[in-house]
Amino acid sequence: MSTVFPLDEEQRDALQELLNISMGQAANSLAQLIETKIDISIPKISAVTPTQLYSLLFETDNAFYTRQSFLGDVHGEVMSVLSRNGLTEVASLMDYDEPLSKEDIQEIILELCNILAGACLAGLSEQLELSTNLNMPTLFQPDKDNFDELQWQHSLVMEVQFAVTVSSFSMRVVFCLDDASLKRMKNTLDELLE
Amino acid sequence: MSISVLVADDSKLSRRSVIRSLPEELEYEITEATNGREAIEHLKANSFNLLLLDLTMPEVDGVGVLEYLHAHQDPLNVIVISADFQPEKQKIVMSLGAKRFLRKPLDKEELAMVLFELGYL
Repeated sequence: MSTVFPLDEEQRDALQELLNISMGQAANSLAQLIETKIDISIPKISAVTPTQLYSLLFETDNAFYTRQSFLGDVHGEVMSVLSRNGLTEVASLMDYDEPLSKEDIQEIILELCNILAGACLAGLSEQLELSTNLNMPTLFQPDKDNFDELQWQHSLVMEVQFAVTVSSFSMRVVFCLDDASLKRMKNTLDELLE
Repeated sequence: MSISVLVADDSKLSRRSVIRSLPEELEYEITEATNGREAIEHLKANSFNLLLLDLTMPEVDGVGVLEYLHAHQDPLNVIVISADFQPEKQKIVMSLGAKRFLRKPLDKEELAMVLFELGYL
């Protein structure tokens, strides 16, 4: 999967740990909201091309997809993959009544993205002492042809996964950064490692 | 007199941060483990005064290490330092005998307070 990896081992280890801390904060926010335990994965960090990114994200049809850009000291895009399975149970924990309308589903998806992806980015930015602003998420349907036109020609992908223990629901969050942002982040990581 | 401390965390950055956060008033003999399996090997081979334990680690996680200590009725003082601080997780680790649960990023003063409460300071 990896192309030439843009981070050395120490930088990668440090970024993985900072991401892990951010995920913990994000999972705790959701756990408090729905009063249930959230399992979190060990974050994966890789460098991928758009084609590899497409394969990484969109291996299943049984999911909802969102994307949201972020700007500031570093900029990029957050893409989230939310499983259709188990979403009803999560909605019930969020006090939504069945049957769920299309609007309910959209609202729940965007809320989950704000809580998990938003808290992850906020936690990471805070620890790196970088300022970032995350735009609102939008639902989208991935298209392989358009993917090759993305600006993330060699993106650094930071992938985290959350799973709600009492249902089959899971969500993957992938952060893509451009080259300039990657350089900025590497400098900050080096300062942390000094 | 120095305290023998086992620091178990898969992240070098975190191990460094934990070691840097230890109060300067005491002397330490530090051993590092990069995952739970390594931590258990160190626990089998050596005697420690204190274990500073991460939860999310590859191979064997922190809960696995606590289960090992619990099964062997080892009274070692364990302070869990984790990013996964959901109430459920805290309940599990405390039921397995951990003395305290501290959140990452680690607060130096909070660690000093816990070490004071446990009688090290």
